[in-house]
Amino acid sequence: MSAIAAKPAGNAGAFQPVASVIAIILAIIFIGAAYFLGSSGILSGGAMLPVTTLVGIIVGAALIAFGVHFVPVGGAPAAMGQSPGIATGVAMLATGAGLAGLFGGAWAASLGFGVALAGGAIGGGLMMAITCLMVNISYVYGMGIPAASGKVEKDPITGDSQAEYKSQGTEGHGLPFISYVGGVVGGLFGGLGGTLIYIELLDFYTASFPALNIVGEGASALAVGLAGIFAIGMFLVIAVLSAYNITGTIEGPHDPKFKRFPRAIIAAICASGICGLVALLAVAIL
Amino acid sequence: MSVKVEASHDGIPHEKVMAMGLVLALVSLYIAVAGSYAGYDYLAFFGGIAAVGALIWGNSTIKRLCSYGIGTGVPSAGMLAFGSGVIAMLFAAKLAVISPFLVPIAGLIIALIVGLILGWISNSVLNMKIPVMTRSIAELAAVGSLALMGLTIVATGHITFTQITSFTLDILGITVNMYDASYIGAGIIAVSFMLGAIALQHPFNACLGPGEKQDRTNMLTIECGFLSMIVMAVISFAFVSMVAAWISLIIALIGWYWSYKKYFALSKRDAAAWLNAKPFSDAEE
Repeated sequence: MSAIAAKPAGNAGAFQPVASVIAIILAIIFIGAAYFLGSSGILSGGAMLPVTTLVGIIVGAALIAFGVHFVPVGGAPAAMGQSPGIATGVAMLATGAGLAGLFGGAWAASLGFGVALAGGAIGGGLMMAITCLMVNISYVYGMGIPAASGKVEKDPITGDSQAEYKSQGTEGHGLPFISYVGGVVGGLFGGLGGTLIYIELLDFYTASFPALNIVGEGASALAVGLAGIFAIGMFLVIAVLSAYNITGTIEGPHDPKFKRFPRAIIAAICASGICGLVALLAVAIL
Repeated sequence: MSVKVEASHDGIPHEKVMAMGLVLALVSLYIAVAGSYAGYDYLAFFGGIAAVGALIWGNSTIKRLCSYGIGTGVPSAGMLAFGSGVIAMLFAAKLAVISPFLVPIAGLIIALIVGLILGWISNSVLNMKIPVMTRSIAELAAVGSLALMGLTIVATGHITFTQITSFTLDILGITVNMYDASYIGAGIIAVSFMLGAIALQHPFNACLGPGEKQDRTNMLTIECGFLSMIVMAVISFAFVSMVAAWISLIIALIGWYWSYKKYFALSKRDAAAWLNAKPFSDAEE
């Protein structure tokens, strides 16, 4: 059986109740483990600091997983103008938006929690806004194709009809208005989630270093480096898992595949639970 | 989703490649760790050999996983591998408080546990329904952890958490501990993260297709591994002794040149036709 003869599985979008419940229970077990490790003194900051940090990480991961579903991902067909979206993979796009947001938020981390989160969200949204604009410029003026969605008759926001502009034999092309808005909203959520993970880890490491005898010149730089690399690693894991949920391409929030997002959020909660717990253990007092 | 497209029928089975890569990576890591434990950093270049071994294993796993058509492209697998690998690797480095010899095997086991959970999530919760998914993602996390440990040893000569988070400098007889000039504090781990992830995802992404041959893909993996090692060897001038850094750099350059020549010859062998065309034709003559 070749790949061409293969039909997409009918239940690819189905919700998995049993597995989802197990995943949520696993996440609760990881939070419980953080509480136990905190109260037994292996993780510093008492019983509650590891728990609040881990919960913050999980909330950030859920925001990332939700945001990834807004981003219009076209993949290889979009590069040939045969499907709408930005012509690259989910993992690359989400990483670009999320890391741009993370850097923006990290820069603003010293200005307070709220400013940092806003900076991260705006950084991610700005990155996606610029990307979507340049993608449309190269589609319209470079390839000479109009923006048209293949999944809906009318644009849900502007009400513009799509079918007349769609070329035969394609699933639509370019970035219609709804996809553009989806990209910016996805960037906002991705940047917000990435920054939340980073700030939670940074606060935890800064609080843990005195107990590990890491004090003095450059200790804050070390906390930034450690929190940064863990945030990037976790961001990539969540983005790729969400990409697996989408399986390839998505047009934006109006795409039927968008309805799969609860699955990705549950996956992100469980995955960030284990990754976050291991990240907290990296500064355990042994 | 569970349609298998055979990437290459011929050649060595995956289990054998995996065993070879794992043994090469672990043995090289232990030689390098023993060298650093004894106080000599001349053996740091074994970290690069370990990274190459791990990448050969990971490349075979990616080939096995991506033959099912995961729909997101080959690079996403490399990013997932290193994203989970870096988390496992840093926790394993922390366990060096007990014994530095615990680090490589602990990194392998922690990465396998994290990878198993991630693989189970993608197969069951996300309903991917790919038979090799759980095992492949566990393997990829282990590969990411081992390759990153190897590149870390090339750059710093050490694998312990204390050594990669601080940089000791002797100024006029006074020892100063600087955290912001360390492997993690200065962010060099992000460079090795990207170098490793690209070396893992590139070979199969570049060679896939109907004419894919196992030996050619593996040779490209070795080439990518040594190419990453060159950069880490250049970075290592800041952390290890001059002699050790030169040894790493020369071995990386020799390895890269040898594998590049081999890969070029294999590409010529597999090409439909090889014309020694010149970039510009001398039309005016």
